[in-house]
Amino acid sequence: MTPPPLEESLVRLENVSRFYGEVLGVNRVTLAIPPGITSLVGPNGSGKTTLMNLMTGLIRPTRGSVRVLGVAPEDPEKLFTLVGYSTQFDAFPRGLSGFQFIYSFLRLFGWPHAQCEQLAWRAIGRVRLNGAAHRKIAGYSKGMRQRIKLAQALAHDPRVLVLDEPLNGLDPLVRAETIALFRELAAEGRHVIVSSHVLHEVDLISDQVILLSNGYVVAEGKIQGVRSEIRDHPMQILIRCDRPAALAARVFELDSIVEARLHADGGGLLVKTRDAGRFYRLLNRIALEGIEIESVAPADDNVNSVYEYLIGGEEAGR
Amino acid sequence: MAVYKRTYQGYSGAATPAWSRFLILPRYSLGRLFPSKFLVLFLMACFFYPAGCAVFIYLSHHLSFLRVFNIQAANFLEINANFFYIYCTVQATMASLLTALVGPGLVSPDVANHALALYFCRPFSRFEYAAGKMSVLIGLLSLVTWIPGLILFLIQASLAGRSWMAANWWIAQAIVVGSLIWIVVLSLIALAMSAWVKWRIAAGALILGVIFAGAGFGRALNAVLRIRGGTMLDLEQDSFTLWSALFRLPGAGRDLDPLEAANAIAAACLVCLWLLFKKIRPFEVVK
Amino acid sequence: MIRRYWAQMRAVIRLEMKKTFLSRRGLWVYLIALAPVLMFAGHDLSMMRTREERRAIAAAHPVPAGALLAVQPGMTREEVTARLGQPNLDARQIRFAGGRVRRELLSYTDGQSRYVFGFADGQLQSITVRPEETLAQDRVIFATVFQFFYLRLAIFFGCVGIFTNLFRGELIEKSLHYYLLAPMRREVLLAGKYAAGLIAAAAIFTSSAALQLWLLSMPYDSSLPGREIAAYLGVAALACLGYGSVFLAAGLFFRNPLLPAAGVLVWESANPFLPSALKKISVIYYLQSLCPVAAPPDREINPLLALLISSSEPASTVFAVAGLFAVAAAVLVLAARRARLLEINYGTE
Repeated sequence: MTPPPLEESLVRLENVSRFYGEVLGVNRVTLAIPPGITSLVGPNGSGKTTLMNLMTGLIRPTRGSVRVLGVAPEDPEKLFTLVGYSTQFDAFPRGLSGFQFIYSFLRLFGWPHAQCEQLAWRAIGRVRLNGAAHRKIAGYSKGMRQRIKLAQALAHDPRVLVLDEPLNGLDPLVRAETIALFRELAAEGRHVIVSSHVLHEVDLISDQVILLSNGYVVAEGKIQGVRSEIRDHPMQILIRCDRPAALAARVFELDSIVEARLHADGGGLLVKTRDAGRFYRLLNRIALEGIEIESVAPADDNVNSVYEYLIGGEEAGR
Repeated sequence: MAVYKRTYQGYSGAATPAWSRFLILPRYSLGRLFPSKFLVLFLMACFFYPAGCAVFIYLSHHLSFLRVFNIQAANFLEINANFFYIYCTVQATMASLLTALVGPGLVSPDVANHALALYFCRPFSRFEYAAGKMSVLIGLLSLVTWIPGLILFLIQASLAGRSWMAANWWIAQAIVVGSLIWIVVLSLIALAMSAWVKWRIAAGALILGVIFAGAGFGRALNAVLRIRGGTMLDLEQDSFTLWSALFRLPGAGRDLDPLEAANAIAAACLVCLWLLFKKIRPFEVVK
Repeated sequence: MIRRYWAQMRAVIRLEMKKTFLSRRGLWVYLIALAPVLMFAGHDLSMMRTREERRAIAAAHPVPAGALLAVQPGMTREEVTARLGQPNLDARQIRFAGGRVRRELLSYTDGQSRYVFGFADGQLQSITVRPEETLAQDRVIFATVFQFFYLRLAIFFGCVGIFTNLFRGELIEKSLHYYLLAPMRREVLLAGKYAAGLIAAAAIFTSSAALQLWLLSMPYDSSLPGREIAAYLGVAALACLGYGSVFLAAGLFFRNPLLPAAGVLVWESANPFLPSALKKISVIYYLQSLCPVAAPPDREINPLLALLISSSEPASTVFAVAGLFAVAAAVLVLAARRARLLEINYGTE
C-alpha cells in the first residue's frame, strides 16, 4: 500500500490566530502534527481548547488556515468522517442513555441502523461501559461521562482523535486503561491529540508535546528535544555511585558544570551542566577509572520540568 | 492538634446588621443589570410618556402660550383623576415589559447554578433572599411608575396652587398605592417564574405569557362561557379595576367590581408566593 | 447524496422529537394548547346543563311561548303573573356594579329561551330574553377565540418555546456541538431541526384545534362544514410553519430570543396600521386571510389587548398560502446562512 502524501497525514495550522473580540485566544500558531500521541500542555487560558476547537471547525480562525489531513474545517462532510472530538463540555442531550447517545449521533452520519448499532456497541466496549450502556447519562458518574464522550469521539473510527482533558475525573484504574487505549489508537497510525494538566501523565503517554502559554506556542516536539533546547536552565543529571565525593571533585574539570550536590545518604550526586554531551563523555572516562557507577538518569527532561522552565515563571508572575 | 485548628480563624470583624442584609442582593443584581445597553435604552423609553405628561401639564397651565399657536384651551384634557389613571395604565404596561426583561435574571441563575445552598448556608433566610431579589424589581418598577407619577402630581400641584393640592391629595395616594399593588403582583410573578424555570429566556416568555396570554385566555373564557369571571385571569385588568376605585372612577373598571378584582389579585399573589417558597429552599431534591 | 441528506435529516428529527414531544419541559406547550379545549368542554357542559335546567323548569312551570311574547312593558307584576303563572325565579334584589339597587325580577322559560322581566315600583320596565345558544353564534365566537387567542397568543408563545429551543436551548445547555461534529451540512441540520419542531408544533396545535371544533359542534344537531374545519386546521398548521421559521431564526441570531419575540408580537399586532407592502411581511396577515369566518372587532378591548389585536384586508387563499411559504422560506434561508457561520462559544451564553 502506498503511504498517503505528507499533507494528508498531518494536522496543519498555518499562522493561525483567533481573537474573541479583543481577547486573544491563540496567536500566530504554526504547527504540523504527525500521527501518534500529541499532548497540548499549558495553564488555564493558554489556548489549548481554542486550538482544538479550531482544528475541528467549532470556531474559525481570525487569520491563517487549518487543514486536517488536507481537509479544511469548512467542509464538515469530509472533516468529520476523519475527526472525532471529545470536548471539555460536560453536557449531553437530555434524556438519552449511553447507547442511545452514541447510536443517535452515529445515525447523523447517514449510516443504516445495523451499522450504527454495531459501531455504537464497539465504541462502548472499547471504553468498557457495556454494563451501563442502557442507563441514562444523567445518572452517570463523572468518570463514566468522560468515557461515554470518548466513545462518542471514536465510534466512527476516525483517523484523528482530538480529546480535551480526557483523563479528568477518571479513577487510577480506568485512567491506566484509557492511556493504554490511546497507545493502541496511536499504534494503529492515528493522530491522538490530547490536552492535559496532569503533567506526569503527559510524560507517560506523549510522543510529542506542544506547550502553550498566553495563546502562543512556546515549544513543540519530543520532550527530550524540547528540554535540550532550553539553554537558560542547566540540565540536571542524577548519578548513583559508590564514591560521590570523588566524582564531584572530578566533574568540575569541565567548565560547563554549574553545580554538583551530594545526596544526603552519601550514595549519589546531582549534577547541573550546560553541556550534557561533554558531561556524559567525561562520565565514561571516570567510570573506567574505578568509580563504580550504579545508574545515570536525567532528572529534568520531563514535561514537568520543561513546563516549569518555560511557563512556570509566567504563571508565577500572573 | 488538627492542622485547621492551628491555621483557621473564623471571621470576627463587623457583620452587616441582620435587618439590612437583604440589601446586599440588589447591590449586586443592579450592578449586573445596568451594563446591558438594551435595558438602559428601555428604561429611558419608559420615561417618554411621563415626560410628555409633564409637558402637557405645563402647557395646560400656560394658556397664553397656547393662544399664540391658536390652540383652544378647552380642547385640552383636564388634569384630574382620570388623567393620572390613564398615566398609571400606560406605565403599568411599560412596567410589565420591564419585568419580563429584568425578572428572569433574578432567581433562575441561582437555581440553575445550584447557588441557593450557598446563600442559605449563611445567616440568610429564605424570606431575606426573596425580599432582596424583590427589592430589585420594586426599585426599578417604582422608578417608572409611582415616582414619576408623584413628580407629575407635584408639578400639577405647584402650577394649580395649594387649593388644588388640598382638594386632590388623594390622587397622590391612589398613584402610590395603585402602583405598589401592581409592582408587588409583577414582582411576585417574576420571582415565581424565575424560580421555576431555569432557562432565563423561557422564564421571560412565561412572565409575558402569564400577563398577555392570561388576559387573552380570560377574555376567551368570557366569550365562550358567556361569563365575566374570566376577567379575573387578566391581572392587569384586575389592577385597573382596583385603581378605578382608588381614583374614584367607577365606570373605568370593566366586568368586575373592585372586591372581585382585589380577590383575584390576592389569589394570584398567594399562588406566586407558594410557588416561590416551594422552589427557594436550601436543599435539592435529587430524582 | 440526496438519500444521505434525507437519512441525516431523519436522524435529526428522531433526536429532536425525543426532546420536543412528551418532555417535562415542554409540558406548558401542551397546557397552552389544551386550555381552549378545556374552555370549549366547559362550554358544552354548561350548555347541556342549562338546556336540561330550562326543560325541567318548563315542565314544572309550563308557559306558552305566545303568552311570553305578549307581555309588554308597563304591565304590573300581578298582570304578568296572571298571564304566565308563577315564575321559576322571583328575585327581590340584585346587585349592580354601581351599588345595590332594589328591583324585582321574574324569570320564565319556554324550555328554550329564558325571559327575565324587571319591575321597578311594581311596573314592568325591562324584558331580557336569553335565547338558547346557536351554532351560528358559536361559530363567530370560535372565530374570535381562534384568531385573537389561539393564533396570536397560544400558537405564538408555543412556537416561541418549541422553535427557539432548537438552537438557542442547545447552546445554553452546551450540547449543540454534538450535531456540529457530525459530517453533515449545517443546512441539513437546520432543516431537520425545523421539521422536527414543525411536526411537534403542528401535531399539538392542530390536534387541539380539531378537539375544539369537535367540542364546539358537539351540543348541536348539525356540525361545521368539513371545508371550514379543514381551513382552521390548515391555518393552525400554517401558523406553526410561519411562526416556527421566525423563532428558529430568532434562536440563531439572538442570544436572548425573547427580545425579537416581543418585537414580532408588536409587529404582528401593528399589522393593520402598516402600509400594504409591509403588511405582507408578517405571518398574521396571511393567517387571518385564510380564516373561514371573520372575527368581529372587540369594542371593549383594554389598552394592552388592543395592542395585540388587529384585523387586515384578506388576501386570496392561493396568495396567502404561497405568501406564508415564501415568508417561511425566506426566513429559513437567512437562518441557514447564519447556521453555516455558527461557532461554538458556550462561554458567552
